[in-house]
Amino acid sequence: MSDKDCSGSCHRLNQPPSTEPLPYLDRLMDLEQGRLSRRVYWDHAIYEQELEKVFGRSWLFLAHESQLPSSGDFLVTSMAEDSVIVVRQKDKSIKAFLNTCPHRGNKVSFSDAGNTRQFICNYHGWSFGIDGALRGMAGQELFEQSGMNKSEHGLHPVAQVASYKGLVFGNMDPNAPSLDEFLGDFRYYLDVMLDMDGQGTEFVGACVKSEIHCNWKVPAENFVGDIYHALWTHDSAAHAMLGGPVAPVYKDPDSYHVNVNGHGWEFNLDIVGNAATLGDKEIRKYLWSIQPQVAKRLGEFRSKMIGSISSCNVFPNLSFLPGQNTFRVWQPRGPNKIELHTWTIVNKSAPEQIKERWRKGAMLTFSPSGVFEMDDGENFEFSTRSNAGFLARQQDLYMGLGRDTRLSDTELPGNVFRNQVNEANHRAFYQRWKDLMAARSWAEVPLRDSPSLGEEAFKHDEVRA
Amino acid sequence: MSAVLDERPVDAAALQRISAFLLREARLLDTEGWDEWLALMTEDIHYWMPAVENRRRVDKLGAWEPGRGAYFDDKHLDLSRRIARFKQPTAWAEDPPTRHIHVVSNIEAFHTEVPNETRVYSAFVNYRSRGERDNDMLLGRREDILREEDGRLRIARRTVRITQSLLLSKNLNTFF
Amino acid sequence: MSKVFLIKRQDLAPGRACKVSAADKTPVAIYNVEGRFYATHDLCTHAEASLAEGEIVDGDCIACPLHDGQFHIPTGQAVSHPCTVDLRTYLVIEDGDDIYADLSQESEEAAAAI
Repeated sequence: MSDKDCSGSCHRLNQPPSTEPLPYLDRLMDLEQGRLSRRVYWDHAIYEQELEKVFGRSWLFLAHESQLPSSGDFLVTSMAEDSVIVVRQKDKSIKAFLNTCPHRGNKVSFSDAGNTRQFICNYHGWSFGIDGALRGMAGQELFEQSGMNKSEHGLHPVAQVASYKGLVFGNMDPNAPSLDEFLGDFRYYLDVMLDMDGQGTEFVGACVKSEIHCNWKVPAENFVGDIYHALWTHDSAAHAMLGGPVAPVYKDPDSYHVNVNGHGWEFNLDIVGNAATLGDKEIRKYLWSIQPQVAKRLGEFRSKMIGSISSCNVFPNLSFLPGQNTFRVWQPRGPNKIELHTWTIVNKSAPEQIKERWRKGAMLTFSPSGVFEMDDGENFEFSTRSNAGFLARQQDLYMGLGRDTRLSDTELPGNVFRNQVNEANHRAFYQRWKDLMAARSWAEVPLRDSPSLGEEAFKHDEVRA
Repeated sequence: MSAVLDERPVDAAALQRISAFLLREARLLDTEGWDEWLALMTEDIHYWMPAVENRRRVDKLGAWEPGRGAYFDDKHLDLSRRIARFKQPTAWAEDPPTRHIHVVSNIEAFHTEVPNETRVYSAFVNYRSRGERDNDMLLGRREDILREEDGRLRIARRTVRITQSLLLSKNLNTFF
Repeated sequence: MSKVFLIKRQDLAPGRACKVSAADKTPVAIYNVEGRFYATHDLCTHAEASLAEGEIVDGDCIACPLHDGQFHIPTGQAVSHPCTVDLRTYLVIEDGDDIYADLSQESEEAAAAI
């Protein structure tokens, strides 16, 4: 799918006026000293700016291609606080639209997913094709007499829609760099989840949604680089599922933080550490069995990441856990609330009973009822809520772990740091956040991590020696 | 669900016994009687609480279905692992303890084709209070298959349907 | 009899519909239902929409592109909300590869239906 695939009628999507950045951004963090202000989790002014400068310009996850196999298939999701309909077209492309009628603004689709031949607003019966065009309405001749041109009143399209290896993203900014540029060299790592054997991935089960009263950045930074919390937070779940405590991962010298332009992955190389928490030896056997062919395709190093003790966040708010295969977006609903959308991702080529085990295992461990996730909710909420305190908000948070761990002689792309118990990825996340918050447009956003890999690095179907 | 006209209600004495069973089960859950609660399940228990989707009436897929999203899709081993976590001293979300109330109502019981199995419907209110102001209320319906083994009732199948499609709770540290 | 040439058989694939204008400007929708041809007035009886721009669904029904109301093609009967008024059908005459309609007569199925 072409990256600069503007959905067709960008003039139908008014852009927000570009506002001046907040004047105090520099006081919100000192990344060299390892300090972060709590205001980033609490202030309404910061949140409103995030809607414009972070979410209004970044590539946000919309769907997996496998959720929309046939033309007319649609689902409703969010891009930050905007409800968006994502629909497979007759020509097999995917388009996305704001889920709001251009007449009086009513929500257009009240269902989460389905298949349809058109979208009809419940208010006045305005009818839109699956391509977003306004087909007509009762009393059409009156509108025409009033000078209305139907082609100017279709559903508002998301400015850009593009895919990377099964993941469909949208961007509200027609001037944003392409998805491939946005992901950059981080695609080298994403291929560990998305391209193990050339047959791609799919979602199984369905989307499970829940509400957590926390700022979206709290869980995003947890997934971008925080394995450290697992030792304490998840001790009870580890005992329940593994019969013992979480492995002392900070002692593992062969573990890493890697990040590229704010996207981050922390991991070790034990192949099955995360998957083991599902308590299902069939899943571990499956991963051991495919690891050699992944090594042939992606190299030995990456093949050891496929289910290892690890976590990842794609900036800004798409996270996943290899091994447990839980895939989620932290959808912001104000500075102190999120809607968590969770899916389970599997290789298309995996045997059906392995996919079924993953569908159940991911929910057993990481869902609102998940034995691991259950202890995260309180951490996320109270890390946010404590900032209601005026004096609490004047204090800084520590984010300095691992400042001395950068590896300079490595062949791995991006910024690489030794030891996965680290806060390097946190600092990289906030650096990117601050760069976007300080910019009036993409032209002012610095490219801190230029690509070092050519596009052929992400095409693995050529024979490797 | 069986057609309403085909339902054969159990007699008053059996209904009384079944109601007492469900109310005792609720009291065990209110008082963290985890092991006694697990002992009420048969070895082949399937404990299922599907996630709910909003779909139009014409959509044959419906709001929920086996094989799609679920909060619980458990066999006996899975339930025992959840309980193992509750009993860990390091289950931080349980310390200080959550206060639970399970209200069970609308109990109806019908014979099935299997002589020692009964289909039982009930409605519930599940209310949890934690800390100072964290209160979560969930309502729903349950459809159970209760089986009589060695003179005692046990739960062989439970399907729980809550009304929320977006779960307004940060976690589900409870059973239904 | 007002016999009107509609289309050549090979120009409309099974499962598809298209539109022609009769000499008196009547818009006529033509349907190929599994090799058998039908014709109706093209305008939906509910709102201003061209049925030829809709989709053939459930084998032999046409779904209006506007509000998805459906008509049974052979009889013209309105079969689903929001359509309540039946469609005018036309008798189709298939002569080898040439498809004609007699605009003065209803289809056989419509005439036979009570």
